[in-house]
Amino acid sequence: MKAKHILLGVVALVCCVQFAPSLLAHHAATMFDTTKVIEITATVKELQWTNPHVWIQVYVQKAGGSREEWSVEANGPNSLSRQGWRPTSFKPGEVVTLRINPMRDGTPAGLFVGVKFANAATLGRWDPQP
Amino acid sequence: MRPTLLRTTMLGLLLCAVIPAGVWGQRPPAPVLPDWSGVWQMVGPTVFDTSTVEPPSGRAGEPGVRERPPYNDEWEARYRKNIEGIRNGVFPDPVNTCGTPHGFPRVMNLPDVYEFVVRSEQVWILGENGPNILRIYTDGRKHPAAEDMWPTYTGDSVGHWEGDTLIFDTVSTKGSRDSDVIVDRTGLILSDQLHTVTRMRRIDDMTIEAQIVLEDPKALKAPWRVTKRYRKQPTDTRAYDYSCAENNRNPVTSSGRTLTLGPDGKPIDKVVN
Repeated sequence: MKAKHILLGVVALVCCVQFAPSLLAHHAATMFDTTKVIEITATVKELQWTNPHVWIQVYVQKAGGSREEWSVEANGPNSLSRQGWRPTSFKPGEVVTLRINPMRDGTPAGLFVGVKFANAATLGRWDPQP
Repeated sequence: MRPTLLRTTMLGLLLCAVIPAGVWGQRPPAPVLPDWSGVWQMVGPTVFDTSTVEPPSGRAGEPGVRERPPYNDEWEARYRKNIEGIRNGVFPDPVNTCGTPHGFPRVMNLPDVYEFVVRSEQVWILGENGPNILRIYTDGRKHPAAEDMWPTYTGDSVGHWEGDTLIFDTVSTKGSRDSDVIVDRTGLILSDQLHTVTRMRRIDDMTIEAQIVLEDPKALKAPWRVTKRYRKQPTDTRAYDYSCAENNRNPVTSSGRTLTLGPDGKPIDKVVN
């Protein structure tokens, strides 16, 4: 499902070619469109604090009331821990705003760029929007 | 004790104290080895030769990014084929197969952190990502005879110290003969005839530098000189496990496409072949 089909206001195309793509240690990021960044407001299902990559599983509300699970891939826990991440950084049930490089084929997944929590704290890159 | 005997005894003790052990036929004292302790991180992206990368800000794995090793025509064509594969999303990174070492020289080009263990008889380069270990023998041994050596991912490295500089020679790498070693994700490959000489030195408190000269009579027209640098991390930095098989949600298909698995373990990609 394409991002624009998600409930208005839940996913907004930020379109930021000025964002440098994230680095992935284990595999190439060719499945992600690193020239684009989309923003999703989502409810955390779980944080998979694992190698070779950390995954943030979230639910995104769709038009009509149903919800869709998205998989957000980040770097490995070793490097992320040195950037301030912890296994408890994402708590199940909390609402967060994520910026991701979307999948090229439009499936509900993406490469982590940055996150803003309800208390305004951020992780990753959270540059001012253009 | 008579005075003469006393003088002789005292002279003997004095000689034992001041004459270096080497005079008595023992091994000379080990050289003073440099301090490479701590945790280090490679400077820059995982482009192997950042001095020739095109575009200059290009990152390994991005479509169209390339470097300019002095390839002969045949290996330039192979490299271009890999670059095209990356553009089409079907060039696999061998390390996607969990447990596969990065191999030499890619072991000098890793993300995450490094530790450099300097001992008199060996130096170990430990890459957190991988895991990867490069063993460099500095105890005077030579490479094994040809009949006692077979290609491995990291090859065979022997070296010695010249002052504070470690100089080591690496041969017997697998190269790309089994399509299981690349140098970086731009698609760089070298052959199993690769021979490198690496000079490593701590050039200042915060930096270790490796000057790598690569010669490959199959793939290269001339020696390829690449410099990598490693920056010291804060004192309390730790290195951790890297277990690729723990939760690998990016397996590779037989055609070389990297998949993305959903939480149920099934591909979520629309194109999976």
